[in-house]
Amino acid sequence: MRARTKTGKRQHRSIEGPPASRPFSPDDGHASAGEPFIPQIETEIAGVRFQNPIWTASGTFGYGKEFSSLIDLNELGAIVVKGISPEPMEGNPPPRIYETESGMLNAIGLQNVGARRFLTEKLPFLRTLRAHCIVNVFAYSTEDYVRCLEILNEGEGIAAYELNISCPNTRCGGMVYGSDPKLTEEVVAASKKAARFPLFVKLSPNVTDITVFARAAESAGADALSLVNTFVGMAIDIETRRPRLWNVTGGLSGPSIKPVALRMVYQAAQAVKIPIIGLGGISTTEDALEYFIAGARAVQVGTANFYDPGTSVRLVRGLSDYCQRKRLHLSEIIGSLKTSEHATRRGAEN
Amino acid sequence: MSISNQQSAIENRQFQYSEVGSFGNIKKMFDEIVKVAENRPLSGSHFLLSVESPRQAQAARPGQFAMLRILGRSDVLLRRPMSIYDLKADDSEGENDRKPGSPRILQFLYKVVGHGTRLMSELKPGDQVGLLGPLGHGFFEEEYLPRAHQANEILHVAGGIGIAALLLPAKRLAEAGFHQRLFFGGRSKADFVGVEDFRPLVRGMLLATENGSAGYRGFVTRPLEEYLARHSKKKYLLMVCGPWAMLRASVELARRYGHPCLVSMENRMGCGLGVCLGCCIRVQGAGHEAYQRVCTEGPVFWSDRVVWDIGEGPDESRSRESKVESRDAREG
Repeated sequence: MRARTKTGKRQHRSIEGPPASRPFSPDDGHASAGEPFIPQIETEIAGVRFQNPIWTASGTFGYGKEFSSLIDLNELGAIVVKGISPEPMEGNPPPRIYETESGMLNAIGLQNVGARRFLTEKLPFLRTLRAHCIVNVFAYSTEDYVRCLEILNEGEGIAAYELNISCPNTRCGGMVYGSDPKLTEEVVAASKKAARFPLFVKLSPNVTDITVFARAAESAGADALSLVNTFVGMAIDIETRRPRLWNVTGGLSGPSIKPVALRMVYQAAQAVKIPIIGLGGISTTEDALEYFIAGARAVQVGTANFYDPGTSVRLVRGLSDYCQRKRLHLSEIIGSLKTSEHATRRGAEN
Repeated sequence: MSISNQQSAIENRQFQYSEVGSFGNIKKMFDEIVKVAENRPLSGSHFLLSVESPRQAQAARPGQFAMLRILGRSDVLLRRPMSIYDLKADDSEGENDRKPGSPRILQFLYKVVGHGTRLMSELKPGDQVGLLGPLGHGFFEEEYLPRAHQANEILHVAGGIGIAALLLPAKRLAEAGFHQRLFFGGRSKADFVGVEDFRPLVRGMLLATENGSAGYRGFVTRPLEEYLARHSKKKYLLMVCGPWAMLRASVELARRYGHPCLVSMENRMGCGLGVCLGCCIRVQGAGHEAYQRVCTEGPVFWSDRVVWDIGEGPDESRSRESKVESRDAREG
């Protein structure tokens, strides 16, 4: 029975099933100590097979190439590129970032080269990598989301889209879509219809109940959910009494948001059947594992790329080492949180 | 080596360099854990940090910077961008296996202004720090040399710790035989660090302090303006580094007197790699080209590329009335 997991067959089955109903008990792992154990850390989402579940988050990894002399990009599961809009965007005036305790605020304003230039200037390089390319898509209106996808549909080598309905730093659009379940449904449904590649939806954490939005996106046809984007925050210079960011508020990211983001990933994983991609403050293997155990089928490294470009590659190795030590495949870790029935119910409801 | 001798060779390579563009720095950067060789206190709250990194020291060019990371701290996450002040060959050991004089040590001149620099000031010889560099588009000869040859003199204009970006280009220019002069402004004379390093490179130095404790009383742009007015027939090339207000005033003088001017900009940085877009400044251009990254397209820009006519600069909120973190951006 256990040996079958190595064939990948059961891995596939467990992917299809809802996280809560997985039948294995990962406690002891693959017990026969003498047998060589090769951990499987591949992950499959919406029919796309990723060589591992360690990805880099949109806006923290450029278009990949910037890191190519520092790490081996081929070791990553996927690269989610900076948010792409139908037309180039200039972004916000400075100051755009501010460091906070164990985190940072940013209000970049989605400066990007636009969909067409992405296809001609950035995608050809990304296509050469073993890491999949996921394109984060941003716009101000449903029509523009669709238009952006239609442009990007011409691109070869895109594994999936990540619909950004959660950017907190643009005048309208963005988070507006992500903080009204009706609008979430509308934009996801329209985008799903337009998208040639699988559609992941990146949710905003700046909502009262994440499960409402997770379900809204799921029912509108999302293939997977990425959560979370940044938390809206601010900082003030007490000498000048000015905000630290031109935009006044910005998105908080980094290790300080991890417990809250992890809770939201856990809640969403309980609420929907589609796969969850977890992100928020991941900088160590332990962080990533918490997300997997909470139900994420892949994770994204974000802010850590800024101060430690080697993080993502280190996490790939760290995950393999953990799986080896525990004699568990990734599929057996995902959603394997052990709680009493009472606690499970509370966690999902809170 | 001499810049002049290399000029024709460099001009031949001009296209190659411009083609390299923003990725020029990426080819030769290293992400390393390096050892602190020395962390010497200077006047005021200034320090000179020396770290051992032969690879980065040999790859570094004038005007470039490195991102320094305090290890083992979860509260200070981001690296601090530090101008590469000087490069030193460490003569004390193992000279045999390399050509003499090849640099092994990078020096960073910094002032304690915030939490990050306070932690830096506590570094001891033998401690380890993370160092990512060399980064950025510095004072690259192939771009300014034609203008330098047309100039009677190169004028370096430094505001406070901005001096840190100017020593290496001044050294390079001095080796090539250019005449140079330093205008250096600080709040008090305690800010005049690095003056002795500059002295052998320049024909003269004009100092200014806001409190009058040394040199002119007032901003450094006053002696600069007097100098430019007095020698209005001469041609100069200005190289400027300092806080936003001082940069803007210096650039305005250069414009008024018709001299080309290079500025080394500073801003808060998230990554130094060109991906976070946190350090962008407004430049001439439209659309997504309206902002350029200080870490990648800069830190050195021709002054007419930069849009100065905006209410406040990226570090205005940290300018002189702010006692807390006046230069946290580049050196914090």
